[in-house]
Amino acid sequence: MHPIRVVLGKELLDGRRDRRALMSAFIFPLMAPILVYAMMSAMINLRAQAEETIIPVIGIEHAPHLIAWLKEKNVSVEAFEGDAQAAVRDKKRDLVVIIPQDYEQRMAKAKPVAIELVSDGSRTDALPTVRRFEGLIRRYNNNLASLRLIARGVAPEVMRIVVVEDIDVASKQQRAAAALNFIPLYIILAAFISGMGIAVDSTAGERERKTIEPLLINPIERHDIVIGKWLAASMFSCLGMVLTLILCVLAMSQVSLEEIGLNFHVTGDQIVLMIIATLPLGFLASSMQMLLGIFAKSFKDAQSYIGILTMLPMLPFLYLTFSPIASQDWMYLVPLLSQQILLSEVLGAKAVPLIAYFYSTASGLIAGLGLVMITARLFQKETIIRG
Amino acid sequence: MIEVNSLAKGFGDVQALSDVTFKAENGQITGLLGPNGAGKSTSLRVLYGLVKPDTGTAVIDGVDVIADPRAAQSKIGVLPDNQGLYVRLTARDHINYFGRLHGIDENLLENKANELIKLLDMASIADRRVDGFSQGEKTKVCLARALIHDPPNIMLDEPTNGLDVMTARAVRELISELKRRDITVLFSSHLMHEVARLCDQIVIISDGRVVAQGTTDEIRNQASEDNLEEAFIKLVEAI
Repeated sequence: MHPIRVVLGKELLDGRRDRRALMSAFIFPLMAPILVYAMMSAMINLRAQAEETIIPVIGIEHAPHLIAWLKEKNVSVEAFEGDAQAAVRDKKRDLVVIIPQDYEQRMAKAKPVAIELVSDGSRTDALPTVRRFEGLIRRYNNNLASLRLIARGVAPEVMRIVVVEDIDVASKQQRAAAALNFIPLYIILAAFISGMGIAVDSTAGERERKTIEPLLINPIERHDIVIGKWLAASMFSCLGMVLTLILCVLAMSQVSLEEIGLNFHVTGDQIVLMIIATLPLGFLASSMQMLLGIFAKSFKDAQSYIGILTMLPMLPFLYLTFSPIASQDWMYLVPLLSQQILLSEVLGAKAVPLIAYFYSTASGLIAGLGLVMITARLFQKETIIRG
Repeated sequence: MIEVNSLAKGFGDVQALSDVTFKAENGQITGLLGPNGAGKSTSLRVLYGLVKPDTGTAVIDGVDVIADPRAAQSKIGVLPDNQGLYVRLTARDHINYFGRLHGIDENLLENKANELIKLLDMASIADRRVDGFSQGEKTKVCLARALIHDPPNIMLDEPTNGLDVMTARAVRELISELKRRDITVLFSSHLMHEVARLCDQIVIISDGRVVAQGTTDEIRNQASEDNLEEAFIKLVEAI
């Protein structure tokens, strides 16, 4: 048996028996999909609430035709009595609409009718409802105007001089992906969390327990020892990522995303692509943790360093969230950033060039191997056996 | 056979070894005797291939430890002073791990492990995790993993340190047994009676240098003392 396999086998056995480390390694992959489900469900509820607008109206009896039209558009209208301004100011109502008494008479004479809309401009939470109501009134106005023009023998087109047409370049899938940006984040976090136990135990732990001296007296090369440990940690890390990925996708498929106009569908091919995109990260994360682990004098020491390291995946996430620029080729060469982008793009059903996978995998593995070589160098030092 | 010649090694300001020269012959028990901090462990670590001396040579069965540490390491079995064990592995897991690291064939490994478990009288603990083992039980695991590849040379760093009377005695019996098997044994100790009783050869180290070497009689003569302990103190304090 090759020494790398011997070390790998021992570290996997040791890792499997470490209940506490196993718990912390795989509790995250199990929690992430629950978080995804809860967050998406909450998002859908919020949207559904906005759709279900209730508009308080004073003088509801003065404009039966308008009220009927609003109800047709899924707007609930309730009769309101009392001080409209006070109700809005005290946040009892988002807005109040006042229909004047002479609505019908002026309408019949084709004279302009003023509807009062009482709202508080400083309240952003009421804004969607106000906007929606204004939009509906504009549409109602346009409808009536068109009818009046037709009645006078004029084509309604004379009113339409410049028309804005919305063209959203994001496909529906991509809009879903933007909302789903945190799935890549969770997968990347899993890479750092799931392999951590073995990465730290096999470096800082080995020094702390003083098992490193008897280990190094064996006639095998130091880099074989380091590579064996690296592979063991990487396997746990990759397992955690794949688990997170599959469970998150499963959780998403349980959320009724169509309700908010998102069409989320992940095929088996896409899952394979995402796994290919993320696996190099498991190797990279483990190599970073091992390097920190070998610097640390004790397990506790190592854990505090590595806690800070785990913030690292947040950087590309924040970068992409706050400066959502189009992906450029160089980004595929930056580990962590490239995985975040690749995952978002695959989830958004955007075509990703094959070279991007190559860049991403190569840069991740090369960086990981480099760090492992540095770790192996440190294993060569005499000071490694001293606590 | 183990041979070191004019070893010197400094760690920063501390000169751990100044001039260490000795030889441990085949089939003999050689004792490294010296006060704490005299350089016993450092000398042994040079022989394990873990510490590179600043000057001097170390040779095991004709292999230069500094030039080819892996080849030298395959000829030695070691009980280091830190008896670190993997708490989640069983005694047998430890033996197997070290056996595989030495490249022992899988088919032979189980038999060899069973032989050692019998030799060290540890059948009842062989398949238990070492977490919670007594000091004596831990020492047995360490001995077993040091012997799994049938090394022609054994080095033990204070093997009876911290052991109860029964286990210390078992270890001494094992050392005698290894000698009967024609193995070169080199062990360090600061216990005079242990060294006097077991060793064919004694090497006294003090302050990083060898101050005396020979049989108990030779050492007594060298110091002109009848008692080995008196001889030891005289030789050590002469520096």
